[in-house]
Amino acid sequence: MNTTVNTNTAVITDTAFIYDPQLSSYELSSGHPFKPIRLELTRSLLQHMGLLLPQHQIIPHPITETQLLSMHNTDYIEMVKMVSKGKESDEAYSYGLGTSDNPIFPNMHEAISRVCAATLTAVDLVASGKVKRALNLAGGLHHAHANKASGFCVYNDLAIAIEHAVKKYKLRVAYVDIDAHHGDGVQWLFYDRADVMTISLHESGRYLFPGTGHTYETGKDTGRGYSVNVPLEPFSEDESYLEAFEAVVPTALRYFQPDLIVLQAGADMHRFDPLADLALSIQGMQKSYLRMSELAEELCEGRLVATGGGGYDPYRTVPRAWAALWAAVSRQEITSEIPANWIQQWQPKSPNELPQELFDSPENWQVIPRRNEIVSHNRVVVKRLLNGLYPIWKESK
Amino acid sequence: MLVQDIMTRNVVAIGPEMPISDVNTLMEQRNIRHFPIVEAGGLIGIVSDRDIRVVGSEHPKAPKGVNMKHAVRLIMKSPVLTAHPLDPVEEAAKVLRLHKIGAMPVLDDESLVGIVTAIDFLEAMTKMTGVYDATSRLEIEVDNRPGALAAVLESIAKKNVNVSSVMTTRTDPEAVNFVLRVSTIDARGLAKHLRDEGFQILWPLDKQ
Repeated sequence: MNTTVNTNTAVITDTAFIYDPQLSSYELSSGHPFKPIRLELTRSLLQHMGLLLPQHQIIPHPITETQLLSMHNTDYIEMVKMVSKGKESDEAYSYGLGTSDNPIFPNMHEAISRVCAATLTAVDLVASGKVKRALNLAGGLHHAHANKASGFCVYNDLAIAIEHAVKKYKLRVAYVDIDAHHGDGVQWLFYDRADVMTISLHESGRYLFPGTGHTYETGKDTGRGYSVNVPLEPFSEDESYLEAFEAVVPTALRYFQPDLIVLQAGADMHRFDPLADLALSIQGMQKSYLRMSELAEELCEGRLVATGGGGYDPYRTVPRAWAALWAAVSRQEITSEIPANWIQQWQPKSPNELPQELFDSPENWQVIPRRNEIVSHNRVVVKRLLNGLYPIWKESK
Repeated sequence: MLVQDIMTRNVVAIGPEMPISDVNTLMEQRNIRHFPIVEAGGLIGIVSDRDIRVVGSEHPKAPKGVNMKHAVRLIMKSPVLTAHPLDPVEEAAKVLRLHKIGAMPVLDDESLVGIVTAIDFLEAMTKMTGVYDATSRLEIEVDNRPGALAAVLESIAKKNVNVSSVMTTRTDPEAVNFVLRVSTIDARGLAKHLRDEGFQILWPLDKQ
């Protein structure tokens, strides 16, 4: 692999785009909403835009079973391995495997281990100082539990990588999850821990899977105050979303003082996403990406590992969102014009007409009824959350 | 779900001669609000934190001439309403609400095998709603006739989606609303499938 990243110095220099063609070559089942092809679409868009160069791209190193076991139970991993080889088991279902969300497919264990390896590589590169920031768009499997597959996620690459950063590099890790769904898997795996803070902004569990992520889920035992949840109304849109983001995320991060920030940047908070309804535009999402990059600069010398996640409008929306994400993470300017070559290349496969512009024109979208009600509800949620957290934070200082 | 599934088994029982102040201390130490009182192996009463709180006070319900040094026998309530381990949870909950009490000792024949409190019932009810599992919420309206819900569940099973819980709310005599917690992240996909099969889905709404 051609790379200008000097792997032998500790000088913080650049940004890594973790890439391996195999990361996008699996399919959960035909017609499944989770489409790894999103990774190829984004990479191709970035190359057409001139934002992704060969020296950015790093092939992940493999993961060991011990590393998988740091967050998952042995019996669960054995079950995943077994069904991956095509052996049937009556017990698979109790591990969340073989459901419509998590169908069993050949070599599932290998495919998802590769995703975990890629996020782990991103953390290694950043934590060791070889690069300053890294992105793994294949990662972000935030619903996976210690002993159960859930919501399209088999192994929790995020939790494994975070635990690695804590154990190997002795870092305090802040996890920020802006996927439209609550980051339940990561939250529960670190719920009683004070060395990892989890922050999740999501569409309220009253309306959306997995149903958790209430403001009162603030952590337990030594982890009390280190779990932060901002459940937002459906159809929150840019302004209200960003207001809540700004009120909570910088405050929580400044309290926690992380050494490394891990960002799960699922792209399903967009207006066009078929599963969720937060209804943001690309420019709204871009603002949150840019803020995360700034906060990493402010608090931890820029150290940021970002991953993908949800995002179920794979052709029209996800590549645009994640192109903006890469630009924010690698601190490059991005223009709105989408290269015609890219549109020509992918239009035949896309079920929707591909947009000419990276940024949306939300002024042309149908106006959301009840907008004022939604805005004021979100403000109440943020206030309730902070009123709950401040006393805990004060107490432990 | 039966009382034996939700009751606390390691029940702390006390004797009738224990001084009220000691009972109070024990309540605070163990973080317990109700003690069954046992004499010669048999249940003879129950005492709650509320019975103790008024002792020696000006409260109108304060027992006359009793102070914290007296035996708990003087303030215990008897006879005691009890539950059986095999009582259905909903039956036991109804008794608790009808008599406005906070807890019932659980007796199997004459022996004390556990205690159920209002909090246990609340926890049981919360579990019944399925909110502790990672699920999506699906609201559906069906005709109030035999087999209407079964048809929905069969259609969901076809999509290989598990139903974590079923709750009912009655809107009018002709129709019943069911709130299902379903173990899929793609509730909208499931809703579309059900709509295509002719069911009336109230949530999630179709994407505009």
